[in-house]
Amino acid sequence: MPTLEYYIILSIILFLIGLFGFLSRRNLIVILISIEIMLNGLIILFAAISYFTKDISGYIIVFFIIAMAAAEAAIGLSLVVLIYKRLRTVYSDEITNFKG
Amino acid sequence: MNWDLIIFYYLAIVMIFSSVFAVFSRHPVYTVLLVLVMIIHQAFLLLTLGAEFLTVVQIIVYAGAILVLFLFVVYLINLRKETKRSVFIRTISLIGIVFLLLGGLLIKNLLILLSLKPSFKAYLPFTIEEKSNVWWIANYLFKNYLLQFEIIGVVLLVAILGAVFLIRKVKTVE
Repeated sequence: MPTLEYYIILSIILFLIGLFGFLSRRNLIVILISIEIMLNGLIILFAAISYFTKDISGYIIVFFIIAMAAAEAAIGLSLVVLIYKRLRTVYSDEITNFKG
Repeated sequence: MNWDLIIFYYLAIVMIFSSVFAVFSRHPVYTVLLVLVMIIHQAFLLLTLGAEFLTVVQIIVYAGAILVLFLFVVYLINLRKETKRSVFIRTISLIGIVFLLLGGLLIKNLLILLSLKPSFKAYLPFTIEEKSNVWWIANYLFKNYLLQFEIIGVVLLVAILGAVFLIRKVKTVE
């Protein structure tokens, strides 16, 4: 039977992979997907703590996290499409319109 | 031979490797499909945590709605393959070292925090008791967390209106 430490270490590893992708990639779609990977690490953390302390609140927080992820994906992807229509690129180092 | 541990190790290894390859792959379609693999495995991990309602919600919402949305945007935008840049490699290795230190620190702190409270043990899942998991979640959600549930509804409505507004404005400008 895996204990709570296993789930916590797994969630931290997933969170760090997502954070690394968020900081190191240049494609805006991959950056949004990295945010989803970070949220999945948080989902594992909340569900595991809720299971091992026998409290139902963590599952409800997971429910809210999934709803927030849906809203965030909708807004972020519409912004990506908007940036592509205006500037014809989705790479974050080529968006240099605000440079003086 | 413990089947719970074997299943956990299988799910964890597949999730970690698919997310690593998703972050490092050069083409966004591969990224989206590898994250789809990770999310389905995570749904089964939630099933081992006794949350069958969240398993179904995860598969429907994440795999069925969010990743399909990502995939449609990837198809909508014709992308060229991302090129490597030599300037970027140095910063990536620097970020990697910092992240290893940060992850070690986080894991060490959380394990110290757990060792202070040795009462965390595996209990029976909610499904074995007389009420099901869905019953408990509905009971708590509509009694204790009703205001937060309404706020989430408003947030989703604002997200839909914002997405439609952002896309429509470009059409009228062009």
